[in-house]
Amino acid sequence: MPSLRSVPRRAILPVLVASAISLTACSGSGSSSSSSASGGKSLVIDTSFNLKTADPGRMYEQTGLLVDRALYDTLLTFAGSDVGKPVPALAESYELSKDGKTMTLKLRKGATFSDGSPVTADDVVFSLNRVRDLKGNPSFLLDGVTVKKVDDTTIELVSPKPNPALPFILPNPALGIVNSKVLQAHGGTQGADDKAESFLNGQSAGSGPYVLESFNASTQVVLKANDKYWGQTKPTYGRVVIRNVQAPTQKLNVQRGDSQIALDLSADQAQGVGGGLQVAKGASANVFFLLANHSAAVSKTTSNPKFVEAVRKGIDYPGLLQLAGEGSVQAAGIVPSMINGALPADQAPKRDVAGAKAALAASGIPNPKVKLEFPSDYTLNGLSFQPLAERVQANLKEVGITVDLAPAPIATALQNYRDGKEEMGLWWWSPDYPDASDYLAFLPGKLIGLRAGWKKGDAAALESAGDKAAQTIGDGRTQQYQQIQTQLNAAGPITPLLQPSQHVVTAGTVTGLALNPVWTIDIAALGSK
Amino acid sequence: MKHPLFRFLARRLAVSVLLAVGVTLITFTLTNLVPGDPAAANLGQQALGNPAIVKQFREQNGLDKPLPVQYVTYLGHLVQGDLGESQQSHRPVDADLAEFVPATFELAGAALVLSLVVGVAFGVIAALRRDRLVDQFLRVTSLAGVSVPTFWLALLAFYFVFYRLRLAPGSGRLAPTMTPPPHVTGLYTVDAAMAGQWDVFAGAVGHLALPALVLAAYTIGLLTRFTRSAVLEVLGQDYVRAARAKGLPGRVVLLQYVLRAALVPIITVAGLAFGSLLSGTVLVESIFAWPGIGQYAYKSATNLDLPAVMGVGLVVGAIYVVVNLIVDVLYGVIDPRVRSTT
Repeated sequence: MPSLRSVPRRAILPVLVASAISLTACSGSGSSSSSSASGGKSLVIDTSFNLKTADPGRMYEQTGLLVDRALYDTLLTFAGSDVGKPVPALAESYELSKDGKTMTLKLRKGATFSDGSPVTADDVVFSLNRVRDLKGNPSFLLDGVTVKKVDDTTIELVSPKPNPALPFILPNPALGIVNSKVLQAHGGTQGADDKAESFLNGQSAGSGPYVLESFNASTQVVLKANDKYWGQTKPTYGRVVIRNVQAPTQKLNVQRGDSQIALDLSADQAQGVGGGLQVAKGASANVFFLLANHSAAVSKTTSNPKFVEAVRKGIDYPGLLQLAGEGSVQAAGIVPSMINGALPADQAPKRDVAGAKAALAASGIPNPKVKLEFPSDYTLNGLSFQPLAERVQANLKEVGITVDLAPAPIATALQNYRDGKEEMGLWWWSPDYPDASDYLAFLPGKLIGLRAGWKKGDAAALESAGDKAAQTIGDGRTQQYQQIQTQLNAAGPITPLLQPSQHVVTAGTVTGLALNPVWTIDIAALGSK
Repeated sequence: MKHPLFRFLARRLAVSVLLAVGVTLITFTLTNLVPGDPAAANLGQQALGNPAIVKQFREQNGLDKPLPVQYVTYLGHLVQGDLGESQQSHRPVDADLAEFVPATFELAGAALVLSLVVGVAFGVIAALRRDRLVDQFLRVTSLAGVSVPTFWLALLAFYFVFYRLRLAPGSGRLAPTMTPPPHVTGLYTVDAAMAGQWDVFAGAVGHLALPALVLAAYTIGLLTRFTRSAVLEVLGQDYVRAARAKGLPGRVVLLQYVLRAALVPIITVAGLAFGSLLSGTVLVESIFAWPGIGQYAYKSATNLDLPAVMGVGLVVGAIYVVVNLIVDVLYGVIDPRVRSTT
């Protein structure tokens, strides 16, 4: 059809021009400089948000801990990565009574909130009562603890039972001290009728090195240095932008210089970052574990102790570490390596295929088949559950156990786990506070014990050992917790697997970075060179 | 007043309201069929172990009531314009939506404009240069656009254009050091232009360009292919030959005779394409850290955040209804035959 070609040729021009315009409009603007900041240096941190609120009384998510650590001072805190020893913050000293029930804290003089008013004992009482009585996620931290003002500089925390974990609980950013006068003027109370959350998501009311400039739980949080900060060392960065970015994008952003810190890279992603970037790595405090339900009503198979022994001996722990990447470590017991009371690495369970087969034979269950449930849409320190579950499946197949994988979205999987109906499960535990007593939740009749079908009275000796450890103060604690874990490893329904590695990549100019198991990094401690 | 267009619009609007109710019912039922407990998804591990806290969570979110009561309560609030409070963000859902919908609208809108301009232009060129090198090239390109998975293209584009070539700015809607323009429409480009903040405008356009182009890749391919075949079909018609025989200039023949007739199928496809643009935003937003409704929907769904899921369902439903309405009206504008029959 030659005529067709000749007619519209002249008409092609406007069409081409139109498309050319649209293309140039879209590609014209190149990269914009991200170095111009108002007042002081600015810092961009990329992380995959797990964030709901900036209100310390309601906050209990990973990103919230990072944010509130910078906004709110606590009575005690941890220095750098060391969570073995609480150090003074708003309290200059503390003392635990011999019976472990009363903790007396001396408040520091001269500490001020960001509006310039002094931090008083009344603010401390208000803040701690508020967290306890809000019935929010962090309320359990102060369950049953009475807060008393003795005088203007002395606070007394009284627990119904000996509470040696309290010094390790107080550094939690959820227990940050808020300006009670400001809060009360904006609907804040010490109870469930508190209405101050939206106020605290608009501006902060703490004494920390930073104040809140803007907060959005889905996109970004901006912090501004607190001009009136009372502390000796002022923060280096005047403005800090924390953005919600997925891991693959985080990596490219920090490589290109669009951000200075990427918080959630996996071991594999962190390995290839190259050029002038620094990688801080260490084992995370999260522990992956395998649950085999102890209740015969849930499973005739997993409730058989010999079967559990076969599982424990059948797992190839070094193989799992290979999967988890460089920097991950085997969890010797359920208490992670950086917390006092962790089992030494040489006491960790080891693979023994012959022993596993023997245990399986002794169990009397021919060709056992079990269902393994796990969250399929969740990653922890860049590690997904699916490949771990597959590896467990392959390991146990060698022993003679058939594992059916049952992945489900976390909200669904949690339901069965929480109801104690899982035959086998692959889960994790993040410490609520860096004290071994947090892990008593794994004993019979306790939070996780019950989820594993382990009722009160199922292991009386272990339970009384747990009760005793919870109330022990002083040096004997470590041994007690280690003994409990040895028994858990020998006969419990939980098999600790590993602590994944944690990798934080920073620009070459960022200094002073320390990985902390509670708040990941302390933004105010970061420097610049 | 009895203009057929008004009657048509009135009928369509009435149907739309019914559709909206249907959307709420289906979303509500589906969300509640999921075997999971919003309390488990939203409370911390320790808080979950405390029955008093779980009870308070249920009461605060109305989850302690029977399902039909929950639904009726929801509709009652909805009529008053109250979409409830998100269990994730602890904010009213309408406040969340007001923030995220414009971001997605800006992205999907830019992608749609891009698709229409580029796709139609490519399609016309391919048809006019049928079986020649340009046509072959455009056909292969459009095939690639249709076949390549959006998330893969997004990663690749981000890697090369942002990281390797340094042509595009980083993720998000603006550089972290820039303050967003004063809120009027929520579209950063429009708001910045209205406020005369041209540096912010340039930043917003720069951040928009790459994700919009990635998102548009599929629809550009789709529109190129449909336009090509539609134009080819019209080119063979007698009236085009007649117009040409009359000696009309080529531009007039193309724009007034060929393109106008070919537009009906193109608009149908464009309407459908908008749907795929909306679903594509979930992935593109995730990779470009674009704070839009796609990321919000994903996060809400995985956390069983019922009010938020319902809110997103309603908005997406409403967008579909409006887009279909626009497509139907455009039919009438373009094709007189449609007008006379409605």
